[in-house]
Amino acid sequence: MKNKLSICFGLAAALLMISSLTFAHHGSIVSYDITKIVTMEGTVTEFQWRNPHVYVMYDVKGAQGNVVNWGAETHSPIVCENQDGWSKSTLKPGDKITISVFPSKIGTARGLLAKIVLNGKVIIDDTGRGPQAGQ
Amino acid sequence: MRNYLAGSIIVLAAILALSTVARAQTDEGQAGQQPAANRGRGRAQASAPSSTASLPFDPHDFSGVWMGRSEAPIGRLSSKAPAMTPWAQARYDAAKPGLGPRAQPLGNDPMMLCDPVGYPRIAHGGAYPMEFVQTKDRLIEFFDYFYVHRTIYLDGRPLPTDPEPTWYGYSVGHWEGNTLIVETTGFNDRSWLDTDGHPHSDQMQIEERFQRVDHDTIEAKMTVTDPKAYTAPWVTAVTWKLSPKQKMREDICAPSDELKYKQEMREPAAEKK
Repeated sequence: MKNKLSICFGLAAALLMISSLTFAHHGSIVSYDITKIVTMEGTVTEFQWRNPHVYVMYDVKGAQGNVVNWGAETHSPIVCENQDGWSKSTLKPGDKITISVFPSKIGTARGLLAKIVLNGKVIIDDTGRGPQAGQ
Repeated sequence: MRNYLAGSIIVLAAILALSTVARAQTDEGQAGQQPAANRGRGRAQASAPSSTASLPFDPHDFSGVWMGRSEAPIGRLSSKAPAMTPWAQARYDAAKPGLGPRAQPLGNDPMMLCDPVGYPRIAHGGAYPMEFVQTKDRLIEFFDYFYVHRTIYLDGRPLPTDPEPTWYGYSVGHWEGNTLIVETTGFNDRSWLDTDGHPHSDQMQIEERFQRVDHDTIEAKMTVTDPKAYTAPWVTAVTWKLSPKQKMREDICAPSDELKYKQEMREPAAEKK
């Protein structure tokens, strides 16, 4: 019974995720595993406030002290501006962030932005429905 | 009992999923006008249901910044397309969209090269505003999406008989009562009609009927006729909502930005097929 219930809840969660992300954005949404969220502590190296999609590059320190440069993309600027109150100065190199992404299906250090916490504040939260954009 | 429980949960999930889809569509169409459910930060221009809809207005004046929405998913003319001719079907099959049920990681949507989006796809940009600027003899639509404009001549000139093939067409309009009827011809066949890769030919003609139904609303009905591509006219509708607080931006598609995004995000993230 427990197993069956878990499967059902899993199915429910999957349905919700898929429906939320179907309307996400142009050219890349299908590259990400929308059933998984990876959370990391990172330091911003680049903030691309541009079309077609805003994205943030950030360094993540591995267990052995090695540093991997990750990238996470989100909506187009107009959607970030209208829905999240973002601007060109929302993030800057050197900012320490806690960032969650739907990771790339092929395991590269790329992701679809799910959530960022900066200075204790959530500045974007797409964990519940995924991003959307004007194509 | 177990089956009943399991069935109930699946049904509940399906209902929730559908409601989420509906919300996603609504949010997309109204970007800039209504707060998303889980946000509320920085939305200075967010507004409750309009208190200005009942204000007096001139039905022959469309001036202002408007946001469009329709029943269709983002970037689509309508939920259902008319049947395609074999010519169109071959083009549709060759199209690899980046969105929707046929989405592929590295597609061939002309927009990924910053090619012009073309008309009428530009009018279904969802999250982007459009500004009508009107003079005595012309109406100009400025689309923030891709930062382009379209001129509709209102001076009584006829449509050209042998028009130059263009991305946005040649448009003339006239008033019948409070309805502005706009006819457009002179298209090339290089743009997609929608994000799903539906094609059109250079024989496409469009008739639009714009009606300002209240201070805050323009209803626009569009009939796309393209016998080379579709076996029946494609009828769609967009509702434009007056959005004076929505900023007109400069949402240019700059090829160098597109290339940088492709090299730094789209390609490293994508599964090569």
